[in-house]
Amino acid sequence: MIRQLRKYADKLQLDGSALPQQTAILAQDDRLLSFGAEALLPLGQAVIERLNVVSLVVAAPPLPLLEILLRRLAEDAQTLIPQDTETRTFLHDIPLVRKEEFSIENPQRIVELLGQRKGVLVEEVGILATGSVTVEQAYINYSSVYHALFVKLLLMLLVDAPPTAIELDLLQPLLKQLQQPIPLRLDDLYRGPLLGKTAILEAIDQVGKRTVELKLVDSFFGNISCRLAEQVFISQSAASLDALPGCIDLVPNDNSSTAGITASSELIAHRAIFAQTAASVILHGHPKFTVIFSLLCEETACKISDCWKDCDKIRYLGTVPVVAGEVGAGGIAKNVPPVIGDGIAVVYGHGVFATGNDDFRQPLATMITLENWCRREYLHRLTNRK
Amino acid sequence: MNGWHGRLLNVDLTHRRTWPETLPAEWLQTYLGGRGLGIRLMRDYYQLDPYSAEIPLIFAVGPLCGTPAPTAARLSVVSRSPLTATIYDCSAGGRFAWRLKAAGFDAVKIVGQSSAPVVLKITPQGGELLPAEKLWGSTVGATVAQLDSQGSVAAIGPAGENRVRFANIMMGEGNSVGRGGLGAVMGAKQLKALLVAGNLKVEITDRERFDEARRDILRLFKASPVIYGDLGIAEYGTPALVDLMTQRRMAPTENFRKTIFAAADQYSGPAIRRQYQPKNHGCYGCPIQCKKSTQDGTPLPEYETVNHFGALNGISDLRSIINSNNLCNQLGMDTITAAASLSAWGEIRGRFPRAEEVGPLLEKIALRSGKGDLLAEGAQRLSRQLGKPGLSMSVKGLELPAYDPRGAYGMALAYCTSNRGGCHLRAYPISHEILRKPVPTDRFDFAGKARIIKISEDCNAAIDSLVACKFSFFGASLEEYAELLTATTGIEYSPQKLKEIGERIYLTERFYNLQNGFSAADDQLPSRFFNEAGSSGDGIEVPPIDRLRFDEELQKYYRIRGLDEQGFFVADNWLEQQP
Ligand SMILES: [Zn+2]
Repeated sequence: MIRQLRKYADKLQLDGSALPQQTAILAQDDRLLSFGAEALLPLGQAVIERLNVVSLVVAAPPLPLLEILLRRLAEDAQTLIPQDTETRTFLHDIPLVRKEEFSIENPQRIVELLGQRKGVLVEEVGILATGSVTVEQAYINYSSVYHALFVKLLLMLLVDAPPTAIELDLLQPLLKQLQQPIPLRLDDLYRGPLLGKTAILEAIDQVGKRTVELKLVDSFFGNISCRLAEQVFISQSAASLDALPGCIDLVPNDNSSTAGITASSELIAHRAIFAQTAASVILHGHPKFTVIFSLLCEETACKISDCWKDCDKIRYLGTVPVVAGEVGAGGIAKNVPPVIGDGIAVVYGHGVFATGNDDFRQPLATMITLENWCRREYLHRLTNRK
Repeated sequence: MNGWHGRLLNVDLTHRRTWPETLPAEWLQTYLGGRGLGIRLMRDYYQLDPYSAEIPLIFAVGPLCGTPAPTAARLSVVSRSPLTATIYDCSAGGRFAWRLKAAGFDAVKIVGQSSAPVVLKITPQGGELLPAEKLWGSTVGATVAQLDSQGSVAAIGPAGENRVRFANIMMGEGNSVGRGGLGAVMGAKQLKALLVAGNLKVEITDRERFDEARRDILRLFKASPVIYGDLGIAEYGTPALVDLMTQRRMAPTENFRKTIFAAADQYSGPAIRRQYQPKNHGCYGCPIQCKKSTQDGTPLPEYETVNHFGALNGISDLRSIINSNNLCNQLGMDTITAAASLSAWGEIRGRFPRAEEVGPLLEKIALRSGKGDLLAEGAQRLSRQLGKPGLSMSVKGLELPAYDPRGAYGMALAYCTSNRGGCHLRAYPISHEILRKPVPTDRFDFAGKARIIKISEDCNAAIDSLVACKFSFFGASLEEYAELLTATTGIEYSPQKLKEIGERIYLTERFYNLQNGFSAADDQLPSRFFNEAGSSGDGIEVPPIDRLRFDEELQKYYRIRGLDEQGFFVADNWLEQQP
């Protein structure tokens, strides 16, 4: 189990969601195990011992996101309700704990809130998230909270009060990053057409790893598929895109087998896209700036309150269509296929579906190009706000 | 305090008396309802023989029953099992639970033994005993047909009357209170059926909060491939698992001698759909509707049933399997144990029953005639009697369902730690080991499983007390259900608090069992699983389970539960300290 702790501590560094020197992971087997920052362990230990869970991540995001956010919130705000799909579907809301509400000796407030939700934001500490089945689950929940926090704050900076000089200063490392586009390196990826099982599995493995490496998806998985005659190869539900070997289901179109019941919840959407377009491969990720822009609706006098479900408009990021739709059987399958003819479409608050006719170079390229467009646009808008 | 009526209906069949009683608010708040409340109500009776007149048979609904909470129109029936001798509870859906709640009771506690067959009628005015001589001997279907114009029915069939140790109590809609033979407890009391009618409403304290939680749950159902996916249980019912278990090489075959059955595609989810174009059914108000029936309304079997009347007995004929399922429903007995008993008997005598022999054998079991009398004792007793105790594939006398423990090590452990014997639903590790919910775990590794099992047992004890359906939790979690409970009752419940409630329920059950003579020696799998390999192939190795690793993880489990090395409580007075 200690190997698991190390593995996910490393993953948090690699995906850039936590500071290495401020990351601790704890797990309870028949005894307590821990790994990471010494300074965070006493709090972590005090919390996990009071909860009926397997694992806990205590870590600080690499940027002072939480600090900036707290300054922008009303002093009595107790929860954050970001609009991204992960919050909407799985987290519901993210509780906030102020520094005066707890101590290592008395972490009751944190315990209480973590007894209710998968993750919490704790002032001057960062994010605490638990898992009740595996160590990976605490990592996933941490990463989801981080993703939600990132999207929420960066959206606030665009639509609420313009950033102050101090905020801009604190965000300098990020702004600098945004000046560098995500590299469009595709030559080493499998070249299509993908005609056999071996080629398909290898190509999926490769593009999955690349998607994670380029941070085009958070820990909430994304999914990948490839059509071969009357069947679809698709990544399984809750499968991390950088660990896909052994986690690909082969699903026949005629439903002659239900072994693919473990396939991604987006199987329905993938099947609908294959049925309505000429695409042979689909890549689905959650690039952060695309998600931010998908939420930036400039519609005025709109009467719809449940945008994820009820919005029937098609908006555009540049030339890329944005539609609403919830996960799984909840609408993506209906709304995305009609607009993805040009190979890419965005789902409100959620992420990108990109298709290719031969191999994964095309969808990866369009996804990167869109995310780069959103990054540039973000930087431009933010720095030009008055 | 909304969510509960705070009323229990007492029924004494010996003295033909019924009277209401107020339930202490503390019990309701700390044991919720269903399984938890039933277990609490058994505290003074758990050592009684299951066939004694004094033993209570308890029907308990939960605080969410009667509200639009998804999958919550369920109840638990609690007593002591004549099959396993453990404390026993079983949850069932349908319409009956919802009607019982609408009659204004949280629970019905039935004691005594009637001198002649009776039906218990329950309305908001109380209980009433009606003569039932004419119904005695009838099938479940015939009994329900006689009564259901007056309300919802739960009845036993001939199997319950004849004390078949795995007799069910059947809900009028076909749902069963299965596995542990509570139908035989009901039969021993000469209680043929319960009939409930009422229209009392359950008030919800915070409607807005309730509706939001409900929306969250429905969204999670939609996001769950197991529930609403193209290949999920809403589409195919639980036989959707046939193909998966075949692919994972963990489908118990020929009394667990093998773990794959080549002809399983004859009764898979798609095969059933092709041949029967099933209609959807479900429990009252359930959005999933996972129950399937033929066009003429005959219920189609669940995954466990198709596998056990299929692979476990080497039978591939779907028509025969559906017939076996239907017979068990009509005679009122458990399909898993019936099929597993036939299978154990088959291995002992060197020949599994042929498809056409199964039906007549099931009828003999229900009537305890001829060979049926021995088979009616269940696999453990019959194997002992025939001198081959090692061929009963059971834990604590409860026959294992259709997940081979060599193919999922958490399942192996959970079969043994379950308080009602070899049941898959207590910790339900298949959820993460096979179905990847909420996250996947390595099915061939014991690491970490002890604590996962412990936490899941606690969660599921709480779920069984709400009472909600396990299938909801392929999508939702206790987080959303705690919200529903809080919104309904006006009392703050968190997932953590629900897990604490579940833990208390689980430990109470274990305490009862230990007092009744169970020990760590009963927390063991049949030796076949440690000595014989499953059916390896297709790149999947299915070795025997490593006994040392199993024992090590079981010891971890005891430590995590706060028990000693023998699995006993450290404090003898543990029970006295509980509310
Ligand atoms: Zn997604």
